[in-house]
Amino acid sequence: MGRSQAVLVDITKCVGCESCVVACRLYNDLKPGPRAGGEAKPDGPAELAPDRWTVVQSFRVEKDGSRVRRFVKRQCFHCLDPACASACFAKALQKTPEGPVVYNEKLCVGCRYCMIACPFEVLRYEWDKPFPRVLKCQMCLARIANDQMPACVSACPTGALTFGDRDKIIAEARQRQYSRPDLYVSQIYGLTEAGGTSWLYLSDVPFERLGFPTGVPERPLPEYTWAVLRWTPHLFVGWGALLAVMYLYNRRRAVAHSEEEMYAPVDAEE
Amino acid sequence: MEARTNAMDPEKRELTRRSFLKMVAGSGLLLGLSGLLGGCMEDKSPAYVGGKGWLPYQYDLPGHLPAQVRGRVPIDPDNPSLSRDDQKCVLCGQCLEVCQSVQSVYGYYGLPVIDETICIHCGQCSLFCPTGAIRERDHTQEVLAALADESKFVVVQTAPATRVSLGEEFGLPPGAWVEGQQVAALRKLGFDAVLDTNFAADLTVMEEATELIKRIKGEAKRPLPQFTSCSPGWVKFCEYFYPELLPHLSSCKSPQQMLGALVKTYYAGRRGVDPGNIVSVSVMPCTAKKFEARRPEMNASAKYWQRQDLRDVDVVLTTRELARILKEKQIDLAALPEEQYDQLMGEKTGGAVIFGATGGVMEAAVRTAYFFITGEDPPASFLNLTPVRGLAGVKEAAVEMPGVGTLRVAVCHGMANGRKVLEAVRRKETPWHFVEFMACPGGCIGGGGQPRTAVPPTDALRAQRIAALYRADASLGKRSSYENAELAALYQGFLKHPMSELAEELLHTRYYSRADKLRPLSLAG
Repeated sequence: MGRSQAVLVDITKCVGCESCVVACRLYNDLKPGPRAGGEAKPDGPAELAPDRWTVVQSFRVEKDGSRVRRFVKRQCFHCLDPACASACFAKALQKTPEGPVVYNEKLCVGCRYCMIACPFEVLRYEWDKPFPRVLKCQMCLARIANDQMPACVSACPTGALTFGDRDKIIAEARQRQYSRPDLYVSQIYGLTEAGGTSWLYLSDVPFERLGFPTGVPERPLPEYTWAVLRWTPHLFVGWGALLAVMYLYNRRRAVAHSEEEMYAPVDAEE
Repeated sequence: MEARTNAMDPEKRELTRRSFLKMVAGSGLLLGLSGLLGGCMEDKSPAYVGGKGWLPYQYDLPGHLPAQVRGRVPIDPDNPSLSRDDQKCVLCGQCLEVCQSVQSVYGYYGLPVIDETICIHCGQCSLFCPTGAIRERDHTQEVLAALADESKFVVVQTAPATRVSLGEEFGLPPGAWVEGQQVAALRKLGFDAVLDTNFAADLTVMEEATELIKRIKGEAKRPLPQFTSCSPGWVKFCEYFYPELLPHLSSCKSPQQMLGALVKTYYAGRRGVDPGNIVSVSVMPCTAKKFEARRPEMNASAKYWQRQDLRDVDVVLTTRELARILKEKQIDLAALPEEQYDQLMGEKTGGAVIFGATGGVMEAAVRTAYFFITGEDPPASFLNLTPVRGLAGVKEAAVEMPGVGTLRVAVCHGMANGRKVLEAVRRKETPWHFVEFMACPGGCIGGGGQPRTAVPPTDALRAQRIAALYRADASLGKRSSYENAELAALYQGFLKHPMSELAEELLHTRYYSRADKLRPLSLAG
């Protein structure tokens, strides 16, 4: 079992070149996105799609009284305790020991419980396909297993993406915050959100201004469901036992009733 | 005995041992086959999920090793000069290499970015891109629409450097001289007037040499050395990275903008055309010219006529875009007969022709400065100022000017070379009076809008284009800008003299610091 790997996204180092987006498309053989033909796309957040597992969104926000532009890379957060995997009874979504939460289309039955479960609304469904899949970033598990970085991290020219052991990544993030307290906000997004994620973010602008979901509980979401669902076996067995007891009771009564009838005087009314 | 009887009776057939075994074997086979078809036999372990494509080899490294070449330059969707097709990008890193190493733009500013993507619009990335993913922002449709509009008077000007490169798009060797064919092709496309930017290059020399002399004599109250200002990529570079040196920049506009301003003032007046009806198109070797034409202050004609809707240059096409239009219209440039530029603003001298090569502006300016100072034609050594020719990154020359003394000049091309010169000027360690800067390696002949004959462009290619320009210069009777007769008429009948009030209004400009758009590297974390 390998150690859990993670990626640190330093938003202050992103220049919006979208190398990561192209690397993801190339490596995962995804169909090209909507920016075909060299035409400019309208300014605004690009959205994840079944064929876009990662996007770079552009935000113009106020910071210290002036307008600044920030780029935010989005993809699956790869939760440490993923709600999607806990919701998937077919085991199509699984948390791997290396860190990535991966989707296996061969096991998927298309119920989309995972999409409802995800607190970051990452998963995308192939609505237009006869046999649709639920697609998302796989964190390039095959590359990680081969001692390589995820494709997007490999391609980042500015060092905005850093890959490594999650504990070391957290230490690196804290070190950066410590050395530049004037630059970074104190939060490390993903450290505790949804029980911790394998993608961690540093920023100099409060995360809520950059479209990050706030109010994601710190407790892993499967714990909430487990609080109820762990009674399922007991309920299942108990309900069965109850029904069995009721059956036996009724049967006994029926037998007794028929015996009464059997031995009743035939000519009672006569 | 009873079973046997039943077996023989079709109405009362019972399951025999044999048929039971056949059924079990058959259903087992069926299940196995459907399982195989349904993918049950395939490996479902997570390690085999995803990653069906490829990445360039430099990214297939162990995780702890740094890649030698990574990623690409950022190109904003609203970049006025350049666009990128993500479908074609293979992350080879060539654009980043040229932007960082040759132009010293990428990586020379601190992060985080402030509010804009730092770009000088030189377009070298589009020349280095091996897949053609990066190219100029396409403005061909605007030109075709203007040509199709009968009510518009469409004027086109062509830069000095396009006439030695356009032929390459039509199978001719690098440096093939296609000036006459280019004029013929533009007329065939339906342009109402075909003017030569060389005319404005001569005009630029007149203004710039006058300004230089004023600076040397202390009349202009502006510092030495004077920097050239013809290359809009270089101008933006200076505005970004060396704003404190902006007073060194010549106030002259580039030839494109000078001609644009004159087309809608002088030319419109002489030809009796409503300037609002003129569509001013330019064919340039340069992608930064698209940005330059959009600079808000480039509307001298609007101020002149007191009409807010005028722009001096409406549409800028690169050499490649012109070639695309010609191919679309099935015009074979190489097969066309040679034609002459229009009169009024179509005459040129050798000094203007060499504007397209690194060192050319300097050489042309020195020729005319000599005339202005001495009142005599320059000697032969001024007509072949070899120290400023060639493809060395930084070139120097010292020429004796009677009455002034030694005029020391320098020439550089490619902004990484420019940065070395600027650092020296910043430290006040330079003896120069005049420095020529060209954003692109080799000057305009190596501009970001030029044909992609060799990817990446080589010095051999650049040298062939440059040689063609100097051959043309040597073959012309008039080699110094002050000899241009149409230019003399322009001054006589309209501008009066170099740096007159009207000349200042139409042909000169101001520059603005863009230091607030980027974080200096030294202050970056």
